Amino acid sequence: MTLQFRMRQAWTIARIEMRRAFFSRRALWVYLLALFPAVIFIGHGIEMTYRHKRWSGQGTTPAAALDSVNPRDTAEEVLKKAGKPITDRDWRRRKLTEEEETEKGGRIRRYEMVEGRMMMYYDGRRSVRLFFEDGVLKDKSIREEMNFDQDRQAYAGVFQYFYLRLAIFFGCLGIFMNLFRGEMLDKTLHYWFLAPARRDVLLAGKYLAGLTASTVIFTGGAMLSFAGMLWPHESAAVAAYWSGPGMGHLFWYAASAALACVGYGSVFLAAGLLLRNPIIPAAVLLVWESINGFLPDLLQKLSVLYYVQSLCPVPAPADPGMPPLLRTLLSPATPAAKEWAVLGVLAVTVLVLWAAAGAVRRIEINYSTE
Amino acid sequence: MSAPPSNGNRGGAERPVVVCEEVSKFYGEVLGVNRVTLTIPPGITSLVGPNGSGKTTLMNLMTGLIHPDRGSIQVRGISPREPERMMRITGYATQFDAAPRWATGFQFVSTSLELFGLPRAEAESRAWKALERVSLTDAAHRKVAGYSKGMRQRVRLAQAIAHDPEVLVLDEPLNGLDPLVRAETIALFRQWGAEGRHVILSSHVLQEVDVISDQVILIANGMIVAEGEIRGVREEISEHPSQYIIRCRDASRIASLLFSEDHITEIKLNDDRLGMLVMTRSREEFSRALGRIALDGHVIDGVIPADENVDALYEYLIGGGR
Repeated sequence: MTLQFRMRQAWTIARIEMRRAFFSRRALWVYLLALFPAVIFIGHGIEMTYRHKRWSGQGTTPAAALDSVNPRDTAEEVLKKAGKPITDRDWRRRKLTEEEETEKGGRIRRYEMVEGRMMMYYDGRRSVRLFFEDGVLKDKSIREEMNFDQDRQAYAGVFQYFYLRLAIFFGCLGIFMNLFRGEMLDKTLHYWFLAPARRDVLLAGKYLAGLTASTVIFTGGAMLSFAGMLWPHESAAVAAYWSGPGMGHLFWYAASAALACVGYGSVFLAAGLLLRNPIIPAAVLLVWESINGFLPDLLQKLSVLYYVQSLCPVPAPADPGMPPLLRTLLSPATPAAKEWAVLGVLAVTVLVLWAAAGAVRRIEINYSTE
Repeated sequence: MSAPPSNGNRGGAERPVVVCEEVSKFYGEVLGVNRVTLTIPPGITSLVGPNGSGKTTLMNLMTGLIHPDRGSIQVRGISPREPERMMRITGYATQFDAAPRWATGFQFVSTSLELFGLPRAEAESRAWKALERVSLTDAAHRKVAGYSKGMRQRVRLAQAIAHDPEVLVLDEPLNGLDPLVRAETIALFRQWGAEGRHVILSSHVLQEVDVISDQVILIANGMIVAEGEIRGVREEISEHPSQYIIRCRDASRIASLLFSEDHITEIKLNDDRLGMLVMTRSREEFSRALGRIALDGHVIDGVIPADENVDALYEYLIGGGR
């Protein structure tokens, strides 16, 4: 048998298996995982666009006028500087002014009534909320409604904390474990073993099917959520981003999603051959990947996450209020150079697939023990 | 796709054979088969034995679905550890009653043929022919998951024969087939056996095995109890007298003549006095005695061996284990 014949055989196997990987009922939750960030970003975009249209329709206020509003300004002064707000609400509330203890140990509290008022302005990018007490400005809250940098940071966070660590991880678990373990449970694996194909060709075909499905689903999901993140922003800003680092960012996000499928796919394919219960390898690998930052340099390199995080173009933001342990778990290890990261994932994959090829040659059909 | 004819006889003889040498397989502490040594020539060979005797284990070993703990197997000179070569000449219809959920009967057979490297059009044409052979063309485009048990049996058979294998291994292949398809399938096995292919099957229906088998392998508790042509196996069993049914006009007279022979152990006359059941320790002497009786002018209408069948062999060799 020639290599070309074996490759054709592997492709035939992959073609048959892809049907299952893409369209089985079990694949439904993989799609949900992959599309979740896109739904979030698109939802966020729709909300931003809707608000922008609604507020702009009520009239925008020049940014300079809003910047000129200072604490202690009266409501009348603000109205004079900034004009009519898009929202203007007032209320009355009790405010604690004094509290004293009585001789018998009780407490006396004194209140006064305060006139509250909130005015909201919109300058096309920022919403400004002004809070008054008895007609004097007490607080000025500015929120960036269309902050491109902030959204790109949010995307980097979602991509690294959710997409790589959870969505692709569990998606690959579902797709690749199913390739052998699922067939053992369905009692159909023997049909493959009775085909005139080497077991390692079968492994290659099944891996190719899982890889194609997971890469299309997860790289597609990453690109869709990236587009969802971009579309509500001003076209000029987006065009400037595309002509700058945008294309490179998209490429590396897609590449790291694809390489995560390559790496996790091989690990879960091997786990499906060696272990009956998917929860065990999933839990072990999840812990291993999570404590990656604590591991010595050499062991860090035996992790898929280490390499794929190194490929991410924007560092994930860390919330300063995050507990230190969680921050350490989530923070990426010192990133590898991109070319080493790609080679690293491929090396881990080749190593795992080589072990899986040995396992598939030894495997026997004994459904009664499944 | 042509199955390469290969000489599997390790001794270098002409006929390709299936050889098991000292094959043992254990499932943990449970015995599958133990020290099985067999040489199966082409033709129809039936594996006969009670449930759990090791028939399916032996078939799975021959086709590489499981591997022996000890010993070796060669199927026409090819080890089952080389599925790329071996499954090109081998078809196996297992007893596992499951099929891929996505597949129609036609897809099930045609996609397996594509793995042989056949172009899709040829794979589909062969798949259709195989489905025709098992009379399943009407349901070819329905999902296998929705088939009845008998139809699933037929589609597995179609898949096993679709690539025209030299060695066909069939685990209880006639289960669930209607009489017409059963007759056609038996005819197909016979044709293939006559063409010098291996048809190795297991069956619980002993009459069927009797009718179609060139040779039988009796297996019990994971060990081979007897193997060979049914008659040959019967002759090896000396502790049980051979039984013959004689149809004749003068049964009482012939019975008394036979009873004077030393090798005759028992005679039971039929109620109608037109026949008897004779038990003898020597087939040759019985044959000579019958010749003498016939030459003396007694009319003998027919002599039929009563225990040259798998049922009797089973009873003698395995006892009540069935």
